[in-house]
Amino acid sequence: MTPREDIERLIARVALRDQSAFAALYDVTSAKLFAVCLQVLDHRGEAEETLQEVYVRIWHKADSYAVTGHSPMTWLITVARNLAIDRIRRRRAATVAIDEAGAVADDRPGPEAAAIARSESSAIRACLDELETERADAVKRAYLHGETYKDLAQRYDVPLNTMRTWLRRSLMTLRECLTR
Amino acid sequence: MTGPEDTYGDEALAAEYVLRLLEAPDEQAFEARLREEPQLRALVAQWEDRFAPLADGLPGVPPSSRLRAAVLHAVGAGPAPRSGWLSGWRDRPVLRPVLAAAAIAVVAFGLFQSGPRDGTATGYRAELASEDRSVTLLARSDASADQMLVEVTAGSPPAGRVFELWLIADGAPGPVSLGVLDAGGETRITVPTALLAALPAGMLAVSDEPPGGSPTGSPTGTVIATGAVEAL
Repeated sequence: MTPREDIERLIARVALRDQSAFAALYDVTSAKLFAVCLQVLDHRGEAEETLQEVYVRIWHKADSYAVTGHSPMTWLITVARNLAIDRIRRRRAATVAIDEAGAVADDRPGPEAAAIARSESSAIRACLDELETERADAVKRAYLHGETYKDLAQRYDVPLNTMRTWLRRSLMTLRECLTR
Repeated sequence: MTGPEDTYGDEALAAEYVLRLLEAPDEQAFEARLREEPQLRALVAQWEDRFAPLADGLPGVPPSSRLRAAVLHAVGAGPAPRSGWLSGWRDRPVLRPVLAAAAIAVVAFGLFQSGPRDGTATGYRAELASEDRSVTLLARSDASADQMLVEVTAGSPPAGRVFELWLIADGAPGPVSLGVLDAGGETRITVPTALLAALPAGMLAVSDEPPGGSPTGSPTGTVIATGAVEAL
């Protein structure tokens, strides 16, 4: 992976409207951001359209990166994931209008089956491993696939409020683990 | 928000916001608070940081090259998609004068060359320079066309980076790496036979790359210097 400072430098130059830096930033980060869009959207065409939106957003918002206080990859990933989830929400709004009662939960492979590469520095992964499998899975489904409380409640066949209580508790356990 | 889940307060609310679990009205109410409350923004930033490694751990999936052209075009950094990568390079400000000069050189060469030409370079040279000439290189054929000597005549790569040399052959699908250049002095490069015919009408470019060269097979860093190859 390209070192953090290199990506940071590229973002700084993109903020100054440097088009060659933008092309270079695209070349080093697009595969990762495309993977993020694909995880959420599970549809290549939609993921490609979203990725284009993501980079246009990056082009226009690069000057606000510095104030986020994030590492460059965190910022890029956050932009990509949020736009992908916006997209899936629009898709769902359209689907629900057609099929009011449609079950939202699908049977695509879960996060574990999705061949997630392990990064040794990933504290979140270690802490998720400390949770019960289903609960860790629910957090990952929310983050990586943009699943909602409603999706998760259906998937695990529990009332919505129970799902919410479960997940909030898991999040607090995670935070404890991550800050110790 | 009511119910036992409120026990966890803003900390959990921020996490739910980051995960995009809040229903639209709650999300909007939270965003209104975010604008006013810096400590809430800090909680959100922390959760974004905590979760991002999950996404960063995903194996990369390269999007299609057509998408690259579309993205660059969308921000005015490239031509309309589907017109080939060289046009994309042509639109880079750094390259524009060089390519124009190269075009003139090629025309001039076509007009004034004397001997027969079989398309294979026997002798050639290329001067590569950055726009401000802070980096310059000289590439030339040695005893035979497949032996190229490349000398960095001014400048050096940024700290922790190396120079990598690329051949941009006319009509090729992308730049081809000719190898990483040695930090100091002259580098001898053996040009693959398959690329020899493309050399006389080609361009050479140098980009800065991580040690060992571009991990992707295409330039990933900045294109620092370029120059047209002249047949001798």
